Parts: sequence; structure tokens; C-alpha cells
Amino acid sequence: MKKKILLILLGIFMAGSIAWAATSKVITQEAVIRKDKRFFAPLVIRVPYGEMIEELERQGDWLRVSYKGAEGWLHFSAVQEQQFRLSSLSGERAQESTKEEVALAGKGFTPEVEKAFRDKNSSMRYDLVNQVQSFKINETQMLDFIRAGNLKEPGGAP
Amino acid sequence: MKKSFGLYGAGLLLLLFFVFGCPEAVRVGTTIGAGTGKISKEDKERLDRLAVQTEQAARPMTNQEEHYLGRAVAATILGQYRLFRNDPLTRYLNEVGQSLALASDRPFTFGGYRFGILDSEEVNALSCPGGTILITRGMLRRAQNEEELAAILSHEIGHVSNRDGLKAIQQARWMEVATLLGSEAARKAGGAEMAKLVSLFEGSVQDVVKTLLVSGYSREQEGHADRSALALLQRFGYDPNGLPDFLRKLDKEQTGRGRAGMFTTHPGMGERENEARSVIAANRWPLKNHAERDRRFLKALQSIR
Repeated sequence: MKKKILLILLGIFMAGSIAWAATSKVITQEAVIRKDKRFFAPLVIRVPYGEMIEELERQGDWLRVSYKGAEGWLHFSAVQEQQFRLSSLSGERAQESTKEEVALAGKGFTPEVEKAFRDKNSSMRYDLVNQVQSFKINETQMLDFIRAGNLKEPGGAP
Repeated sequence: MKKSFGLYGAGLLLLLFFVFGCPEAVRVGTTIGAGTGKISKEDKERLDRLAVQTEQAARPMTNQEEHYLGRAVAATILGQYRLFRNDPLTRYLNEVGQSLALASDRPFTFGGYRFGILDSEEVNALSCPGGTILITRGMLRRAQNEEELAAILSHEIGHVSNRDGLKAIQQARWMEVATLLGSEAARKAGGAEMAKLVSLFEGSVQDVVKTLLVSGYSREQEGHADRSALALLQRFGYDPNGLPDFLRKLDKEQTGRGRAGMFTTHPGMGERENEARSVIAANRWPLKNHAERDRRFLKALQSIR
């Protein structure tokens, strides 16, 4: 019995240590990896929601990350650290984990739930929500606005 | 032997779950146990399922779920108010708001921060989960300069950042969502489970809308949003006095009148003003010159003044 428990514990700690080579999941609709650790630094690559990125180091609020061979900086609030990634194990266990992830993916308050909710509640003004949400200020406009108003560039000036 | 594993093993695996906070940790344990023939396949499945359910019940709402909830909250509010269509003014509002949000404690939500104007003389500002923030024309008209407008928006960004809207959802309701998602039935995505999920979504939307429009946040949440706002304004280069100055104006208007909108959901403006002033005094934040910002504010707001 004791042996078994030890064996199981060993398995857990192994999984833990493998997972510690931090992999993070992008939790915004689109994250932008940048050349430098500043919001307005030049773009390296765009990463869509749900993609996994490798975390290389952390400096303050910024993470140096790698994605599809590109490296750069990403603000920590755009990702969520995955403490356990069994897909870094091989064989049957990794496949099981993937199956489970697929089964649980897309559950909760999803676009499908929104669609069913809209069909049920015709008085909802999603058309106006889309209009409000389409009002994005681009980076050049925002920087001009910040500078013209003598405000401080968030995340530090170049 | 299996029985003894059932007693000790299940306890041990649950302990591991709480230590590592993840069903996959348990799964490694059960896979090893099953692989070595120490536990049965049924036991393994039961323990794995239990671990997933426990995690689901304990998990917070994801950014993506917060986004879809917030859209429904905004869609409900926009079904009750009209949207004020004025592109130059909406653009100015978004320039102030989106740049402030970038300097906030939570610069990125799933869909980003967006600001819209409600065509109403009522005085109100409403923050939907995920970062859609709606402000009435009446509220905008009461702001005297960009410092005050930035103070209002910073306070609302504070509510989004602190996820105050989500705290309005009844705990029992979220537990039900979590339990449903952890269940075997939901994983097979049957129609009945989807209908149940939609009804729980609907209830959650109503919880948030009720808090925004009727009952209001707690004084503690308002105080927290004020403190977040002051720090954000100072950090970004605005004069934080915009917040207490604006609160004073609302307090004067609130006193002795039974009015709609924010005056019913936000009591104690005077107290909040005093608290904000004492935070500013304690930090000895220097006064800031905002002549340039005053000019662009007047230009942007002239159409509604």
C-alpha cells in the first residue's frame, strides 16, 4: 500500500516538474507579441485566442515568450499560465489528456449559448452591442491622443 | 486490496487535487494505479470524473465567458435605453477610456474595453463585465473637464478590473453551471443540458443587470473602485482631484431629491468625496496642469452642451 502511494506521488511530482516549463494559454480574442516590453512597441506576431505559447522569462508585468518560432514580449494579463500540461508527456496519457480537453473545450458561456439566448430573447439589442464594440481606437490614434494630452505612455516610454 | 485503495486512495487523490488544484494531477495518479492493476477501470473513471467536477465547481469564470455574459448585459441595457449616435464624441470618449484602460491594472480583457453613450438625461455610468462601459449623455454633460470624465471612466474600469459585475451572480447559480458542465450528460451536449445552460446564463445576466440598474454595488466595492481610479488617474498623468470634484457635484445634486439612475444605486457621494480627498492628501500627489486637455474636452463636448 505504501509503495503504491509513493508511486502515485512520484507520478504527480513528475507531472508537476514537466509542467513547470511554463506554457501559457492566450485568453484574449487576439494577443500581440511585441519586440519590446511596451504596449506600443513594434508588432512581432498576432496570436489568436486559445493558442499555447512558451514562457521564457518574466520582467515585471511582461513575459518574454515564444510562439511559432517567433520571440517577443507579451503583457501577463493576456495569458493564463497552465500549471499542468500533460501533453508534454507522451503516449496514451497524453492522448487521454487531449481527449478530455476537447470534451471540456467550448463548454460554459460560449457563442452557442449566446446564440440560443438571442433566439429566445428578441428584445435584446445585440446589434447595438456590436456597434459599441466595433469602436476600436488604433495604436497611432491612441499614442497621438496620449502625447497631445501630456499623459504618460502606459507601460513605459521607449 | 481494491477496497483498501478505495478508502485510502480516494482520500489521497482528493488531497492531491487540493494540493495541485488540478484534475490532471489526479489523472496521472489513477492512470498509474490502473496501469499497474492496482485500481479497477471503473474506479479510475469515477475518481477522474470526481476530480473534474470538483475543479469545475471551484473554477472562476473565464475571460471568454465574462465577455459573452457582458455582451448579454449590454444587450439588455441597450434594449431599455437608446444609443446616442455621435461619432466624434464617441471617438473622443473611447480615446480617453481605451487609453486609460491600457494603463489600468487589467489592460486586457477578452474583447477589450469599449465605451458607448446612452441617449438619456439620467445621470449614470454602467460597466458591463468584460469591459463594455455605457455612460449617459446626462452624466457626460455634468463633467466639467477631461480630468472629471477620466475619473468617471477610471471608476468604471475599476469595476471591470475588480470583476465586480461577476460577483453579482448568485453563488448557487454559478455552482449549478459548474456542476452541469462537470456532468457526464453535458459532455455529451444533449439538448436538455443546453437549455438548462441557457437558462442559467439568462439568470446570471439578470443578476448583473439588477445590480447595475436597481440595487447597486456595495459601498466596499464602490470604495475599492474609487481607490483603483485615483491610482490609475495619478499614474496616467491626470489630476486625481477630478474624482472628488465630480463626486461633490453629484452629492449636491443628490441631496434632497428623489432622482433616477445613479442617485438610487450610488448613495453616499459626500462620504466618497471625503475619502478620495484624504487619499490624495495622504499621498501628496502634486497638482497637474491640464490646460491642453481642457481645450480638447470643450471642443469634443460642445455638441451636447
